[in-house]
Amino acid sequence: MATNKKILIIDDEAYIRRVLELKLKNKGYEVLTASDGEEGFALIESRQPDVVVSDIMLPKLDGRALCERTIPIKEKRPFLTIVVTARINPDERDWIAQMPETIFMEKPFSPKKILDAIEKYLEDLK
Amino acid sequence: MKAKTFGIAFLVLILLSLAIFLQVLIRTEKKAAINELYGRGDHLVSLLSLHSIRDFEGARRDLLIKTLMQSDFHKGIVYCFIHDQSGRSIVSLSLNQSTAEVPYNIQANSLAAMGLVHQFFKHIESDINIYEFAKPIYEKGEKTGTVRVGFKLPPISILSAERITLIGIISFFIIAAIVLSYYGFVRAFKPLENFLTGIVGSSNHSRTSLKNSSGSFGIEPMMQECKNSIIELKGRLDEVDTKNKDLACRLGIMRFEKNQSSHILNSINLGIIVTDNHENVGFINDYMLNLLKKKRADVVDSPLDQVIRDEKLLALISQQQGFKNPVANHLFDIALPDLAPDNTYQISYAYLADDNKAQIGKLIVFNNTTREKEAAQAINDFTAHAAHELLTPLTTIKSYSELLMDGEIIDTATQKEFYNIINNETDRLSRLIKDLLNLSRIEMGSLSLNLGRVKSDWLFEDCIEAVAGAAAQKNISILKRLPDNFPTLTGDKELLKGAIINILGNAIKYTPENGQVEFELSEDDGMVAFDIRDTGYGISSEDLARIFDKFYRSGNPNITSQQGTGLGLAITSQIINLHGGEIKVESKIDKGTHFTVKIPKKEDYLGDK
Repeated sequence: MATNKKILIIDDEAYIRRVLELKLKNKGYEVLTASDGEEGFALIESRQPDVVVSDIMLPKLDGRALCERTIPIKEKRPFLTIVVTARINPDERDWIAQMPETIFMEKPFSPKKILDAIEKYLEDLK
Repeated sequence: MKAKTFGIAFLVLILLSLAIFLQVLIRTEKKAAINELYGRGDHLVSLLSLHSIRDFEGARRDLLIKTLMQSDFHKGIVYCFIHDQSGRSIVSLSLNQSTAEVPYNIQANSLAAMGLVHQFFKHIESDINIYEFAKPIYEKGEKTGTVRVGFKLPPISILSAERITLIGIISFFIIAAIVLSYYGFVRAFKPLENFLTGIVGSSNHSRTSLKNSSGSFGIEPMMQECKNSIIELKGRLDEVDTKNKDLACRLGIMRFEKNQSSHILNSINLGIIVTDNHENVGFINDYMLNLLKKKRADVVDSPLDQVIRDEKLLALISQQQGFKNPVANHLFDIALPDLAPDNTYQISYAYLADDNKAQIGKLIVFNNTTREKEAAQAINDFTAHAAHELLTPLTTIKSYSELLMDGEIIDTATQKEFYNIINNETDRLSRLIKDLLNLSRIEMGSLSLNLGRVKSDWLFEDCIEAVAGAAAQKNISILKRLPDNFPTLTGDKELLKGAIINILGNAIKYTPENGQVEFELSEDDGMVAFDIRDTGYGISSEDLARIFDKFYRSGNPNITSQQGTGLGLAITSQIINLHGGEIKVESKIDKGTHFTVKIPKKEDYLGDK
């Protein structure tokens, strides 16, 4: 299933970047990876991904700050952000609810569920 | 009784004074009468002596006698004798008296006199004082005869109409003065009497004395009463003095206790404001004054809303006033950006009630909970980090196994790699859990050191052996520097080995291939020193400040590319601290890092365990 959709994976863990990249590439997505928040934000601006999968704890720029920075970008060109977090507390849940086009996925996540979420979002866009 | 005696005494005194006054008056009157008599006598005998002796023998004799009798005789003249030179009596005028009744010496003195003579004698029969005036009659320089006139003092009339009026006026004033004095005296002593009656109180003796004295108000009983009362008063004063001392003592104790309470409230690490029912500040402690940056004098008795300007806080306080329960303690958290930015306060608000449970004011207590909040935040951060670090390898294991199970990895080489990754991540997870447990035990103080004598050369070699494989993989040479004599130290060998291996392992992990790590053992000032120098990537000054923080890992890709829990150095520094040692680090980016670990040789330097 060939698709031209771009998925950006931002995680400081190489193993996680690799397994998600493999899973998504197998489904025909173009996959971009970044190991910290700054690099990830640069790729959002330059490569305009359709979906961003980002860890919340990131070096340089954490997932929360990254999401807030992308709000003006999403106003012009919406995209889905899947925030991967180890622990979801009410404060974090409220914050995510306020972010446009943002959902969360708790660790340990299943790559299959991430793929499902991405596909559902892209399907809804059609 | 006393008053009566007092009255009589006064009456006697008045009569005595009156008698003395009359006596003085009589004497004065008598003296005046004598003086007047002398003048009259002198004048009369002088007048008579001017005449010639023949006038009293010749035709003018009757005229002279008649004139004398008419004019002056009645004014006390008892007799008038005129003698010639030989002493023969030419004229002899007398009232019931004869010449013979005049004592001889008086008569002789008068007849012999050459000038005016005054003489005085008492007539024996009539007991009358008689004053005799005599003067010789001179004619042509020769004494021709003698005139003798006898006077008695005219009756002294002290009770003339004028005098009676004068005496009356004087007496009136004296009596008026006496009466006024008496009543003044009584009135003046009346309060004293009342006072004495009052202070005597329950004393039967004094009460009786006073009752006895109620009839009269004499000086003596009164003095006695005064004396008794003064004794009584002194007793009372002593009693009052004792009570005063007792009260002063109690006041001192109360003052001390009040000061003590104030000192306690001022030393306490809480802000306290007490208000009255009118919302005025009654008490404020030093901590609160410091927080408000105000002086006590400006705050006490001022309305609360003038003392506290923070609107949010005032709103909360007024909201609390809605609660009617008089003793309930309401708590709320607040930040006071104007007073103490970056601080959080927990404010408790309670009504103050007296013994009858009537509201007498309010108590507002400010507790700085910033540290508690920070501690809670630190625990929260640690939990979040720990969860993240634990769930990351779990996520890897779950993801890789899911892909393998779903048959998405067909290539056997990749399958093998995936199994390896799962295996490595499982190890990582185990290490992390062990590290977390160790850190928790160290921080909770429940880690017991297995103390023993540790030979430093053995420790040194064990550490090298543990990292030799990793060093060989990266072709990193380990340069050993050893002293001539190996010191022995006291400590937990396994923990110390773990700590040093962690630093040595980091040196190899963060040094590029073909680099060099220098490991030196030395002894310095009772300490055993382990120096680990590498030629690695180095640590930035920003990272250097945080490398001992739990879960802190540098953002440097050279570091993040290597596996690590972010707990190794935190645990290492804690183990060294437990041994009473020290850890230092110096580093330069791209040049390398130098760690120094010093452990005291002596047992004294060891930790609690």
